Amino acid sequence: MLGHAALVIAARDLMERTDPATAGLWPRATALLARQALEGALDDFWRKRSPGVEHCSMKAQLLCLPHYLGDEELAERVSYAWAGLSGACHQHPYELPPTLVELLGWLGTVEELAAGLKPAGN
Amino acid sequence: MNSDLRRLVHDRLVSEDLVQKNWSNLVLAACDGEDALAGVLSNTKAAPPDTEKSTVTKGTGAYLTALAVEGFRGIGPRQTLTLTAAPGLTIIVGRNGSGKSSFAEALEVLLTSDNKRWAKGRSKVWQDGWRNLHQDKTAAIEAKLDLEGGGQATVSCSWDAGGDLSEQKTGAQIKGKPKTTLQAMGWTDALESYRPFLSYNELGSMLDEGPSKLYDALSLVLGLEDLVTAQAALAECRLARQKPLDISDAAREQFVEQLKTLIAEEPDDRASACLDALTTKNWGLDAVEKIASAGAVPAATQDVTVLTRAVALDAGDPALVAAAVTALRAADAKLKAVAGSDADGARQTASLLEAALNFHAGHGDTDCPVCGGKPGLNAKWAKQSRAQIDRLKIAAAASDDAHRGAEGARRKAIEMMPAPSKLLAQLFEIGVEGLDTARKQWDAWHAGASIKDLTELANHLESHHEAFADALDDLKTAAAAELKRREDRWRPIAQSIAGWIDLARDARAKAEDIPRIKDAEKWLKDASADIRNQRFAPIADKAMKTWEHLRQQSNVTLGKIELVGTGTKRKVSLDVTVDGVAGAALGVMSQGELHSLALSLFLPRATLPESPFRFVVIDDPVQSMDPSRVDGLARALEETARTRQVIVFTHDERLPEAVRRLGIESRMFMVTRRPGSVVEVRKSLDPVRAHIEDALALVHTTDLPNPVLRRTVPGFCRAALESALIGVIRKRQLLAGKTHGEVDEALAKGGKLTPLAALAFFDDRERGSEVMARLNKYGGWAGDAFKQCNEGAHKEYAGDLKQLINDSEKLAERIQAL
Repeated sequence: MLGHAALVIAARDLMERTDPATAGLWPRATALLARQALEGALDDFWRKRSPGVEHCSMKAQLLCLPHYLGDEELAERVSYAWAGLSGACHQHPYELPPTLVELLGWLGTVEELAAGLKPAGN
Repeated sequence: MNSDLRRLVHDRLVSEDLVQKNWSNLVLAACDGEDALAGVLSNTKAAPPDTEKSTVTKGTGAYLTALAVEGFRGIGPRQTLTLTAAPGLTIIVGRNGSGKSSFAEALEVLLTSDNKRWAKGRSKVWQDGWRNLHQDKTAAIEAKLDLEGGGQATVSCSWDAGGDLSEQKTGAQIKGKPKTTLQAMGWTDALESYRPFLSYNELGSMLDEGPSKLYDALSLVLGLEDLVTAQAALAECRLARQKPLDISDAAREQFVEQLKTLIAEEPDDRASACLDALTTKNWGLDAVEKIASAGAVPAATQDVTVLTRAVALDAGDPALVAAAVTALRAADAKLKAVAGSDADGARQTASLLEAALNFHAGHGDTDCPVCGGKPGLNAKWAKQSRAQIDRLKIAAAASDDAHRGAEGARRKAIEMMPAPSKLLAQLFEIGVEGLDTARKQWDAWHAGASIKDLTELANHLESHHEAFADALDDLKTAAAAELKRREDRWRPIAQSIAGWIDLARDARAKAEDIPRIKDAEKWLKDASADIRNQRFAPIADKAMKTWEHLRQQSNVTLGKIELVGTGTKRKVSLDVTVDGVAGAALGVMSQGELHSLALSLFLPRATLPESPFRFVVIDDPVQSMDPSRVDGLARALEETARTRQVIVFTHDERLPEAVRRLGIESRMFMVTRRPGSVVEVRKSLDPVRAHIEDALALVHTTDLPNPVLRRTVPGFCRAALESALIGVIRKRQLLAGKTHGEVDEALAKGGKLTPLAALAFFDDRERGSEVMARLNKYGGWAGDAFKQCNEGAHKEYAGDLKQLINDSEKLAERIQAL
């Protein structure tokens, strides 16, 4: 099993490699990995801070997050990143995969969330 | 003017039976250019029009086969867009920022490099930031084109490191031929006239930029600028004549005012005569010249003439007067000396004696035949008589002499005292000082003319001349002063008028051409409007057809499209009807409708048969269109793509979706951009196929860690299933008569996989619980695949990835067959 930190690294690697094999498919693949990293990081967070919340719906988890995280601004960005990544992981009418800029933003948020958890976690 | 157009104008003149009009040659001369027109107007032969030269090599019809871009805008390392050189629809999809528009812009920059017009429409930011951030040293664009009738052309440009956007080096080469310039391809004018690039921004601004801009953009293609030029030549010719005439007339009016003021201050007959002449219909230039020119001889009756003559009056030289006095006195003395002598008697006596002498000579001595006295006639008598005759003759001569002398002296004296000149009466009219004294003195002086006695006469001369001369001198001085005063008032304005006459005459002579120039202008203007709309008709026709595709559910009907007016009043008249109400303004149309309208107008222009470009590049036409209009756009593009290579760039899947759903033949590419501005171009398949292919590609990427594959592949499989479900739902609901908007709403609510499947299977998104049972009707594999796709997207999938992909594909195909 890959931890959320490893997932973030894998996501970055997929985005930054320039091999033709992953040409065009990397945006969606990166989004899939990034979302799982985000969800994994949140799982870890809840297990430490308030075990049981990780089994709730993502919507509920994100609503609780500002209260537990103590950083409303980051919590808001996590919500936003999750919504964006979630959208990118599904097929929507007329929508194209996310752009590099969008992915970088979301990934940055995931990394920030994960970094903040480290001392409290492992 | 190109020879076709000139012939068209000529034939029109002939068919309207106007060749004999005095202006028809002006129309044709105007078609041949300014020089020719000037030549006809000045009756000199102009150089023959160079109609032959105008048959420039038309550009060869070209299809794009490849476009390679490097270090330009969003594109870093060189990337190539490979195209099919044939009519057909190519759609290039990419998110904003993916570099897709950079391809479109690169092509435009490349082909229009020798025409800086495009740069004007770009912002400063664009112009400064044209280089790619990640590759800012090298920049190059290369296009390959297939030419109709065989041959391949390569057009390329590149920039040196640090070079400005405008410092590109452009070249062209036709395969197997020497390198040449882009201009040599003969596309320069066509790029402007037919403009095979249509961008969202440009379409948006087309209708905003004002009616004359729209007119210009649409009329350029008609190739009728030469008619406008010809009209301008005529107008210029007319102005070149009207202007001097106006200036001369303005000067004339100024003179009239000045003269009126002058006369009001004090009457002046020259000024009055000049004013009369100037205010005649033709400005009386000849008469004016006779009055105002420097060497003008004034009429005898004019005051200046009177004054001039008055100044020339002569009282007589005092020395001559004195001489006359002396002569009179001498003559008088001589007269007195011969006083009492009878010159006649003496002369008759002498004649009688001579007759007697003759008688004596003939008859000899005899008694006096007259008185019979004795001794009568004899020798002695003869001798005495001869002496007597001599004495008598001398006395008679002296008397005659004295009388003649007296007469001569008197005549001379009297001549010195002429009657007062008639000028005095005229001077009285004018009013000159010293006239009374002069008249009195002159009368007194002249009174001497009746004196008989020579000495008295001499005394009169002596006593009156000085006073007369003084009085006359005073009068002359006064007349001279008056003359000078009058000249001082008159001469400056006369000089101005004299200096104006030649200009005025010239202006009037040239102005004689104005009426026929005006006739020529009017005819050409009407004829041009007519020809313009004739030529525009096919475009208008096509635009209306395109609009019919694009309007879809729009309540806006597009009627007649015409180019009307000229000069600043030129505009495109669009007969727009909204909900059956005619004459509606463009303002009532939505942004999407305006874009569609602009596209309707410009797509026909870009695809005219005369255009050398067999391709048309449309950048993001979908932007503000609602989905139903996208269907119309797809149809319009399909139509255009029958005869043209249509390349469309678009930022979302609406157009590709419509094209696929409507079964329109097309080739699609997807553009994505990685870090470092590495732009990727991939052939794009229908979404189900694309996701499956992507999943397979991931599995085959050997250097990706296995957990990464296990966490991503199920997500692609799920996307494939979602795509299949969405496609089925849309197709079915549209067939059932739902609008695109309603379908989109239903799909948005559907959201995740299970509700979508419920919607696809049962037309009811709430029946998610029955989905699994329905899937298992295909076999257990189907339900398993569905479940694994759904869950696998959130965690590491433990099963066989290839099996999952295989089953997902199979399931997607079943769904698509619903």
